[in-house]
Amino acid sequence: MSASYQAVGWNKQKKKYDWIIFSFCVVYLIVFIGVTAYVNPDYTFETVLVRSTSTLALLLLHVILSIGPLARINKKFLPLLYNRRHLGVTMFTVALVHASFGIFQFHALGNVNPLVSLFMSNTNYGSLADFPFQALGFFALIIFFLMAITSHDFWLHNLGPKVWKTLHMMVYPAYFLIIMHVMLGVIQYETNPVFVLILGVGSSTLIVLHLIAGTREVKKDNEEFGLKQDGFVMVCGVNDIEDNRAKMFCIDKERIAVFKFERKLFAVNNVCKHQNGPLGEGKIVDGCLTCPWHGYQYLPQNGQSPPPFKEKVSTYDVKVQGQNVWVNPKPYPEGTERKGANF
Amino acid sequence: MIIEILLVPVGLYLFCGFVFAIAFIVKGVSVIDEGAHGGSIGFRIIIIPGTMVFWPLLLKKWLRAKKQQHD
Ligand code: HEM
Ligand code: FES
Repeated sequence: MSASYQAVGWNKQKKKYDWIIFSFCVVYLIVFIGVTAYVNPDYTFETVLVRSTSTLALLLLHVILSIGPLARINKKFLPLLYNRRHLGVTMFTVALVHASFGIFQFHALGNVNPLVSLFMSNTNYGSLADFPFQALGFFALIIFFLMAITSHDFWLHNLGPKVWKTLHMMVYPAYFLIIMHVMLGVIQYETNPVFVLILGVGSSTLIVLHLIAGTREVKKDNEEFGLKQDGFVMVCGVNDIEDNRAKMFCIDKERIAVFKFERKLFAVNNVCKHQNGPLGEGKIVDGCLTCPWHGYQYLPQNGQSPPPFKEKVSTYDVKVQGQNVWVNPKPYPEGTERKGANF
Repeated sequence: MIIEILLVPVGLYLFCGFVFAIAFIVKGVSVIDEGAHGGSIGFRIIIIPGTMVFWPLLLKKWLRAKKQQHD
């Protein structure tokens, strides 16, 4: 949160996560290089490096893009989301090795600037079969680069959440560029259709996951609440919410998380100040409701982050009548103390 | 050709960004963001590439923060 910045916010969990990513990458590269050396011993080392890193980067990119929807579909995947940016920076690094060796192999040995050569050695921009596919990879790499260098929270703060989020949503156009980079590249040098098939399976999986997660969200947002009284809306029964957990309700376009904590109910805005994570999918840890995405914390009774942090979210009135929970969707200013509802 | 013409200004822009980045991590960053007080050296190094790209924006913030200090 906004305490002093460190280079990398490592803790025990994140270290474990990073070790797993790192070991996976190393094992993948060793196996890929070993198998290629056995099956195609006449390939040059550069070719093997270009191909092993490109396929690893593509695989990581698919994992990265699956994590968001998976975490919305099933909470078991939330730990993956917790450190997604390290996965992203790893993917960029691997892709950078691929691109560097690609440029080295095809463009660095002449007397033209390699970057100029990248765009000008093949100028069939009007042809599909001979398209200079490497240029597409270049633009995708620029996007991944911008994402990697702005992945520190400092940038979220200083570019502002809107610009930052927009920049990081560019991962989707970048993904599209990569698909074209691979498809247009593969048809130029590969006759084996297996590669296209794997890519097809990968991108269909991503599309289906996003569609499932998206329709669930829309359904939740459009839920209608029948009973209204004095500005309050009846949302659920007291027992529908577990201890130290929340339920999210979207009332009049306000997303509200209703928490149960120490035999009381509290309501705060569902949208985390960090990167708009869903607070209602988090739980209470050490007396604070904790965002499931990166662990920002807020006090249930006033929506403020515990000192020294300064984030605040809006709070709402809750009341219990009989066994039913009622919420008033009119927000109080961020950080306003509410006393919660006994039940 | 377009590429050749573009490469020079892009290189210049990034070079200016690098020069700015040195001053920025030494001084500016703590002026515009209190989170940098007590932040580690590693943090300062890790924001250099981003500073080289987004330096005009940070420069604007820095100037604005300085003006506010004087007012
Ligand atoms: C400047 C940027 C890039 C350049 C110059 C470049 C170059 C190349 C080249 C020359 C190939 C054909 C390799 C071969 O003949 O075996 C290739 C293929 C490929 N590239 Fe890139 N690439 C770039 C960026 C990227 C990025 C950012 C990704 C991200 C994941 C990527 C993923 C792939 C994949 C999956 C293949 C197909 C598998 C392969 O044959 O290696 N490339 N690229
Ligand atoms: S979105 Fe990052 S902690 Fe909530």
